[in-house]
Amino acid sequence: MMTVVAVAAACSSGHSGGGTARVVEVTERDFTIHIPARIPAGDVRLVVRNRGPEQHELIIVRASEDRLPLRSDAATVDEEGLEPQTLGTLEPGPVGSTRELDVHLRPGTYEVFCNMAGHYLGGMSATFTAT
Amino acid sequence: MRSRRSFSPFAGAARRPIAAILATFALSSAITVGLSIWATSRSQHRAAVLEIAARQRTLAERYVKEVLLVRSGAAADPATTATDLRVSADALLDGGLAPAVNGDDDDTQISGATDPTVRAELEQERRLVHDLTATGGAILGGRPGPAADTAHERITATDPIERLRILSDLTSNTALNTARTIAANADHSLGGLIMIQIGLGVAGLTVSLLLALALVAATRRRTAHFRSIVSASTDLVFVFGDGRCRYVSDSVTATAGAKAEDMLDEGFTRFVHPDDLDAVRMAAARARPAELVFRMSNHFDEWRQLEAHVSDLRGDRHVRGVVMNARDVSERVRLEEELTHQAYHDGLTGVANRALFRDRLDQAIAIAARTRASFAVLVVDLDGFKTVNDSLGHDAGDELLTTVARRFEDALRPGDTIARFGGDEFGLLLDGAGEEQAAEVGRRLLGRLSDPVEVAGRQLSLGASIGVAVHPRDGEVAEDLVRRADVAMYAAKEAGRGRVETFRHELARELGESLGLEHELRQALQRGELRVHYQPEVDLTTNAIVGVEALLRWTSPSRGPVPPSQFIPVAEATGLIVPVGELVLREACGQTADWARRGLLSEEFVTWVNVSQRQLVGSGMTALVRQVLEETGLPPTRLGLEVTETAIVAKGSASEHARAELQRLHEWGVRLAVDDFGTGFSSLGQLKHFPVDVIKVDRTFVQGVAVDRKDAAITANVVNLAHVLGLVAIAEGIESADQLLSMRRLGCDLAQGYVFARPAPATDIEALLMGGQPLTEAA
Repeated sequence: MMTVVAVAAACSSGHSGGGTARVVEVTERDFTIHIPARIPAGDVRLVVRNRGPEQHELIIVRASEDRLPLRSDAATVDEEGLEPQTLGTLEPGPVGSTRELDVHLRPGTYEVFCNMAGHYLGGMSATFTAT
Repeated sequence: MRSRRSFSPFAGAARRPIAAILATFALSSAITVGLSIWATSRSQHRAAVLEIAARQRTLAERYVKEVLLVRSGAAADPATTATDLRVSADALLDGGLAPAVNGDDDDTQISGATDPTVRAELEQERRLVHDLTATGGAILGGRPGPAADTAHERITATDPIERLRILSDLTSNTALNTARTIAANADHSLGGLIMIQIGLGVAGLTVSLLLALALVAATRRRTAHFRSIVSASTDLVFVFGDGRCRYVSDSVTATAGAKAEDMLDEGFTRFVHPDDLDAVRMAAARARPAELVFRMSNHFDEWRQLEAHVSDLRGDRHVRGVVMNARDVSERVRLEEELTHQAYHDGLTGVANRALFRDRLDQAIAIAARTRASFAVLVVDLDGFKTVNDSLGHDAGDELLTTVARRFEDALRPGDTIARFGGDEFGLLLDGAGEEQAAEVGRRLLGRLSDPVEVAGRQLSLGASIGVAVHPRDGEVAEDLVRRADVAMYAAKEAGRGRVETFRHELARELGESLGLEHELRQALQRGELRVHYQPEVDLTTNAIVGVEALLRWTSPSRGPVPPSQFIPVAEATGLIVPVGELVLREACGQTADWARRGLLSEEFVTWVNVSQRQLVGSGMTALVRQVLEETGLPPTRLGLEVTETAIVAKGSASEHARAELQRLHEWGVRLAVDDFGTGFSSLGQLKHFPVDVIKVDRTFVQGVAVDRKDAAITANVVNLAHVLGLVAIAEGIESADQLLSMRRLGCDLAQGYVFARPAPATDIEALLMGGQPLTEAA
């Protein structure tokens, strides 16, 4: 997990210069993620709000055509397997909190999801397209 | 003394700070303990909640297993697990009894969640439990799965088993997260609690520390104050503990001339007088008595009297000892002793005074009453002392009295009492002496006194008259004894001086007369019983009357005529001589003026009036003479004053004053005569410097002039001297024709005496004057 955080920090610092990043609001709640279906490509600042009642993570990956692979517990997504295509990760955040995640989006399709046990399977994922 | 407060330098000083410290500690401790108890009960409850929340995960997983087991035909009881899940979810949210699982623990009563976040999570948990058990129920009942919407999950899997598994994951995940939230909250509140407790502890410690510092500072100040008071005070302060000296003030060491360490412990005993040591030890050990006086040696090895106040501060935890506040009262004690000595001793000679004599006499009477032993009282009066005093001055007289006192001391035993009653009168108390012994002692004293004494450069030989009274024969009370010894002394004087006389009752009778004389003389003065008679003075060449001497005569209604030799000494001794002298002066001047107005007097006629030394010593003689002369109209030259030899030659300021008075009167015209010339100590040379007009040759010489060659020689010398000095010589007391003849031969100018005329009332003299005849010697 620490590696992921380090990568996320590296990504955010690497792509957030200039203060021109577009702000995109993301809302999480049991068990959905709301995010615009289309987002302009480039530097983007995701402002993630957790509306509860549970804690939630936010992981952003480039989407593949299939469903995301699961770990052997059959309850969580195999984050390690997705590492090459992961753009950023927010660890579980408390209910009511608002957190930011800076990413650089190249045109393409992306998926965001919460990887708390059962949450992805329970419906907490969303895809969008960067154009 | 100043007011005595108990000695407690620290009493009450620290109570308030100590109380404040204790209160602060108690308060902060109570709050801390209360918080801890509250926090502990909260923690216990939270632990129970956490366990139940965590157990939801176990139950959810077990429920999935049991559903699968039942579905595959094995025996299981998923319905009970579903109930446990739901009851537990309800209890977690709203409070209640959470059921035991597998009997490995007890049913647990918990209260509902209050934190909004936790409640939201628990509500979701309950919805998930509902969805889970509903899905499980549908699988077991072979029904299609229920619409999964209570927990808002959007499960895309269509397989009911898959769905059940996902719901189980969600349920257990939510339970786990809820437990984490509760734990995080607990950590947070625990952190707050720790901060509060740390704050309370720090605050309590700080306040206590400040108060303690204040206490220490206050105590130091008081200690310093106490020490400064003790150090600066002139009081000598000792502090004793268990009878040992634990502290001495600087004033103690300064007085004793020792270092403090030499006085501490047992050291102080070396400085306390051995006779007082027991008392000091007792005070040091038991604080009794509260006051004592003891002696302590100073650095000059003198004993100083200390008056000490003892305070028992053994119960005072700041002192824990007996405090002795002492002050040096040596000066006061010495002064008291001196005053006591003065009150009972004669200032001049240092022997006892009348008061102490009386005291000793009373004691002797008391002792004699028990022991039946006798004792004697002696009254000693020096003979001729007055003459010494008058002629050589008071200093010489004082010196003589001191010598006499020393000789008495040498002659008597230590137990005997010597007292000076005043003047030249002494009293002696001879313990255990009877009449014979007392008389023997008296004679011995006379012998001692007769040894020549050198006073003011002269060798004098003293005599005394001594009277003896013996207890109990001559009296059993002090007054009687002294008075009777006095009577005996007078008798000794009468009998010719230089004698010892023992009291006899015949003496008392005589004494009674002379004592009554003073009283009667006073009455005589008031009643006008005193008369002035005149004795003519005759010119031995012409036999003409050239003057008179005014002489006092007293005829008492009870006694008849009283001779001047009896009452003049009484008048002199009592001071009555002053009014008596004034009476004579007025009478004589008035009479003479009357005669002068009537032309009875010759040109040179002078009326002579005797003036006592005592009149001259008192101020106002000059003024009186002037006043009388003015009132009577008598010219000063017709008045002559006769003074004794001693008035002219005596030393001392009083005599100087007297001479100055006479000088002034003489300048004014009043004549002066020296009376009784030849009996005193005057040197002839002194007469040159004094304005005397007449010398009266004493009758003792005159009466011996015809038969005693020695008296004749003296008289001749006196007359010659008078002529050499340009003075007139008068012979007094010529009683016979032989005497008159002798005086004429010696060239004496004037004479008076019975041979011419006795003193007579003014009317008789008037007859002589009117007759105008020269007086011839009586037949």
